[in-house]
Amino acid sequence: MFTRRNLIRLILFLAFALLALGLVPAAWQPWRVLLPALSPLLNLGGATAAFAVGMVTPFALPLLILPLFKGRFFCWRLCPMGFAAETVSRLNTRNAGLIRRVPFIGKGLALVILGSAAAGYPVLIWTDPLCIFNGFFSAWRQPLTWSSCGTALGFILILAASLAAPNIWCHRLCPLGGLEEMLARLAERLRARGPGSQPPATDAERVKVGRRVFLGFAVGGVAGLAYGKVKSAAAKAAAFIRPPGAVDQNFNALCARCGNCMKACPYGLIFPDLGTSGIDGLFTPVLKFRSQNESQEQFCFQECTACTQVCPTGAIRFLSKKEKQQTAIGLARVDKKKCIAWEKGEYCVVCQEFCPYQAVIEVDHKDVKCPVIDEAKCRGCGACESQCPALPIAIVVEGRNPQTPLSAPSPQLPE
Amino acid sequence: MNPVKRRSFLKTTVSAAAVSALPSAPLGAQQTAAPAATVVVVHGKDIPKMLAAGIAKLGGWEAFIKPGMKVVIKPNVAWNSKPDQGGNTHPDLVRACVLAAEAQGASKIALPENTCHDEKSTYKISGVEAALKGTKARLYRPAKGDYKQVDIPKGKVAKSAGVPKDILECDCLINMPVAKHHSGATLTLSMKNWMGSIANENRRAWHRDGLHQCIADFSTFIKPKLVVIDATRIMLTKGPQGPGDLAHPEEIILSTDPVAADAYAATLFKKEPFDIGYIKLGHEMGIGCGDLKKIAIERVEA
Repeated sequence: MFTRRNLIRLILFLAFALLALGLVPAAWQPWRVLLPALSPLLNLGGATAAFAVGMVTPFALPLLILPLFKGRFFCWRLCPMGFAAETVSRLNTRNAGLIRRVPFIGKGLALVILGSAAAGYPVLIWTDPLCIFNGFFSAWRQPLTWSSCGTALGFILILAASLAAPNIWCHRLCPLGGLEEMLARLAERLRARGPGSQPPATDAERVKVGRRVFLGFAVGGVAGLAYGKVKSAAAKAAAFIRPPGAVDQNFNALCARCGNCMKACPYGLIFPDLGTSGIDGLFTPVLKFRSQNESQEQFCFQECTACTQVCPTGAIRFLSKKEKQQTAIGLARVDKKKCIAWEKGEYCVVCQEFCPYQAVIEVDHKDVKCPVIDEAKCRGCGACESQCPALPIAIVVEGRNPQTPLSAPSPQLPE
Repeated sequence: MNPVKRRSFLKTTVSAAAVSALPSAPLGAQQTAAPAATVVVVHGKDIPKMLAAGIAKLGGWEAFIKPGMKVVIKPNVAWNSKPDQGGNTHPDLVRACVLAAEAQGASKIALPENTCHDEKSTYKISGVEAALKGTKARLYRPAKGDYKQVDIPKGKVAKSAGVPKDILECDCLINMPVAKHHSGATLTLSMKNWMGSIANENRRAWHRDGLHQCIADFSTFIKPKLVVIDATRIMLTKGPQGPGDLAHPEEIILSTDPVAADAYAATLFKKEPFDIGYIKLGHEMGIGCGDLKKIAIERVEA
């Protein structure tokens, strides 16, 4: 078991686990995007669906080129998810042959993902193994709750499946494995055309393969288009707050649930959603300020762009500090009945004190300054909500979806 | 109101008469004429020099820090704001004070400061972190476990608060706020500065229960040996965070009486001290003297 091959895999497993856990120096934190970005399904699937090529796009190249020459080298020698699944599979020696009757579903999955990505709504993108691995380790946080570790589920399911039916993940289910397999076969076939090699595949075989590929793509495309149509009616836009830079239209499809943005947030504001963004938004990232998380005393800090740097699919676009400060992710609302200035006539306006964008206007009401929100300036960062002294909290941010770029200058911008 | 005014009028006139009529009066007579509080106002451009000049006027650092003492300085470093924006205590002033404490042989110098913005960014942008490089001072945001709940026996509304242990255990406590506009409390001065020391839940509770009374209540408990108010530049609007309009009095204000220091600082904003709730309450509760007529203001040029 402790061969050199396994030693390399173990080291990679630990390295990527540490990276996903965030147990690396601060300057390395943005590199947590590396592992999920290696997967062409996440990376290119996302780029295709979002019509956007980003800085992480070139990371997809190794796993497109490697299988052409080395087959499933990545799967058997490097993949940390594969290492975990294979190791657990060893525990069950009795059912080793169980998977023989199962078709290679992963190939179909890969085609469906890429086909639907071409249609703009990649379905099942979250079945990618690198994102599942990442989602498990990036889910750990203080304090850990059942709802905060939703992204850890996939990893556990894979290990459970591997225990029941050894090797079922890598050999039968994995969409990335499926993609690698198909690319390897393609290369074999191309090489077979060269001089002095085996006889080329018959026309009938070629047609069969072609038909399958076409079918997979088509199924994916139709599913993607259908999904796009159905999805729009799903959720109330004000009910949830997305991380800054989140695309609006196909977010739930694009998001791979890798947990990177949740873990990257230095303030622990981002949680897996449990349905406020629609049924298909399960475990997608949403921000929870103090009204939804009692222990939270932080907000989406104006100088921070951590979550925008780590998305492998482009569901959250990379934002510069300036762009972040001009992006409204939400809108604060004052409940005058709860506000201690409006209702009790106490000196307060803590919301105004904390607002980084000077979006809280003071109005005189019975000789006391009372807060009113300037919608043209409010970015929905939650600073007001984070320290509102009223019980219950009188100023609460609701989501702005789509996120609107504001023209009012930010007082925080460097001059 | 009227009797107070009359009494203070009588006192000041009587003492003024005593001073002018009896320049060589015996000591006892001079003491009745002595002001209720002294505020040293240093005007200048070189902050370390200004601090040194002000302290010399108050009897030198020996009067405050003796070798081996644990010193706590409470600057106002709450916001992600640059030194010239006036949102935080000037880093040069903090550094000058820390160096003086080191020179006096302080055994420990702590600066617990509960920032409003992300502490890493705030300490950096404010310039205070860099100003403390090479010193043994520790600037930090107190964690939950760093607080101790204490009773405020003389508090009318605020009866208890969570206070960083370093503050409770120190031998010399120096309050070093920046003077600036404040949307909720009109002005942030020295007494208000303690809101950056207490636990967040107390801070929120104080707003609910009556801000000015709670600020005054806490000052019945917390007794800084020295108050140094940074008024080198003062934020006139959009406080406490800013950026807002600035004025440049180029002053630092020193006193052992927080109420008196605040009362003088209020005049820089063209405010009547007693129009600010916590100064008035602080005066009435006997924490210090907020009545400008009874405060001796000694001006120093540095």
